[in-house]
Amino acid sequence: MAGARIRPSVVGVIDVHELTKRYGGKRAVDGLSFTVRPGRVTGFLGPNGAGKSTTMRMILGLDSPTSGRALIGGRPYGELRAPLRTVGSLLDAKGVHGGRSAHAHLAGLAAATGIARGRVDAVLETVGLDPATARKRAGGFSLGMGQRLGIAAALLGDPEVLILDEPVNGLDTEGIRWIRDLMRSLAAQGRTVFLSSHLMSEMELTADHLVVIGRGRLLADMPMREFIERHSTSRTLVRAAEERDAPRTRAVLESAGARVEPDARGGWLVEGLDAAAIGGLALAHGVALRELTPRLASLEDVYTAMAASSAEYTSERAGVAS
Amino acid sequence: MREFGRAVAFEWIKFRSLRSTVWTTLVTAVLPVPGAVFVAATESLQPDDTVLGGSLTIAVPALMLAAVVGVLVVSGEYGSGTTVTTFAAVPRRGTVLAAKAVLVAGLLYALALPSTAAAYLVGDALLDDGYAQGDPMPALLGVAAAFSVAGLLGLAVGTLIRHPAGAVTAVVAGLLLPSMLGPLFGDAERWVAGISPTAALEKLTQTSDATAEAVGSLGAWPSLLLVTGYTSLTLLAAGAALRTRDA
Repeated sequence: MAGARIRPSVVGVIDVHELTKRYGGKRAVDGLSFTVRPGRVTGFLGPNGAGKSTTMRMILGLDSPTSGRALIGGRPYGELRAPLRTVGSLLDAKGVHGGRSAHAHLAGLAAATGIARGRVDAVLETVGLDPATARKRAGGFSLGMGQRLGIAAALLGDPEVLILDEPVNGLDTEGIRWIRDLMRSLAAQGRTVFLSSHLMSEMELTADHLVVIGRGRLLADMPMREFIERHSTSRTLVRAAEERDAPRTRAVLESAGARVEPDARGGWLVEGLDAAAIGGLALAHGVALRELTPRLASLEDVYTAMAASSAEYTSERAGVAS
Repeated sequence: MREFGRAVAFEWIKFRSLRSTVWTTLVTAVLPVPGAVFVAATESLQPDDTVLGGSLTIAVPALMLAAVVGVLVVSGEYGSGTTVTTFAAVPRRGTVLAAKAVLVAGLLYALALPSTAAAYLVGDALLDDGYAQGDPMPALLGVAAAFSVAGLLGLAVGTLIRHPAGAVTAVVAGLLLPSMLGPLFGDAERWVAGISPTAALEKLTQTSDATAEAVGSLGAWPSLLLVTGYTSLTLLAAGAALRTRDA
């Protein structure tokens, strides 16, 4: 029915509309609406218990929403004809039986959707699991190897859309870099990449766009750069050339209305005045400056500030699993 | 149809790539033959029993293992969290359950038929003359079908209960308890013990244990039909639960 109405513009688009999931009286996801578009990496950010995993499970048709809908390319997941060839997914719960080999796990999935068996060896090679390891029982895999197997399964059907819950979990530095490059290259090929992570520094390096939720509600849906700029209080690092000028520098800046805090590595972090104004004040008061650096907050700073500012995030953590 | 064929292929690969399902199935299939040898060697057969019934004495525990095979095919997924992967690959959950049912029933039938036939031939060769023979045909076809039905009952219970140990306990209790507790019910014993799949199996094997007092006077084939009937209903309930529950 929906088939005839699909336009190329919605292929690969994840459309979440007024999505709500209630467990008993508790809303794990509460009227959530956002769109994930192809050609870029979209990061899904939120504290534990914010509803990220529940949202992803609803998009994948694993959990049914209390109300609202989640569509992929204009259709619910359950109506996709060969779902693994459209959407590749990796959820927090590994979804691999410990008694089964990686190879058999992938061979089963290939058979389920009519994917050529040759893809199994191809994706095993892509994720760096050697053939001997792939024939061993997955129960003996390290967290990192398990994660690579999960990503191999997600890539198996060469899908247009990738939905990955915490993909860098358990990976070492090299593995994290590998995932980052992989995600960016998949997005560059025009695919839709939607991934959640609690590692905000990692997200900052990987994602182009952010969807931020807290307590099941949308907090932000915007480009990464815009999110940081909008939510960070821009600060400037100021260092006087002479150490003895430091207290006077602070006094001058504070009398001009700035908030001044000591930086951990020396100098003052100034909020409320931009670099030009600070430079002007220093010149007027005869203070020579050694450093005057505008500091854009990292995603982590912004996120921490956001989470801390609303007590509800921290107080409600215990409730529903994410 | 192609979609269903793929779902069955998926289930078959999952089945044969786990030791638990493969070994339980092999033991289920092999058990009746040494059982027949054992009965002949110990000369434990009652004088009024049949060769067919005596040879298939150990088919009753094998039938319980067949039910366990059915449980394992689904509870292994719940236990390991692979239901998520399975439903992502095959979102139509009714298709998943139907594919598992075809696999379990087909496999158990294909293994139980030669296995119980071999047990009968072994028993026939080893047992002393003087026992009534019993009619192996078409009874053995029904015996093999009982294995399929027991497997399907296990599959349905495993789907409903999800927890592996809980489901195995429930299904073994369901097969074992009616005949164990039956005598406690006095005259009602035949009604309690008679509904179990093991009762249908005993009647089909024409063993002298399957008296009307113990397992009721319902014939062998109607008994098999009864068991098939409530197994089908349990499977339908399992399918409904699977569709409405979160994975």
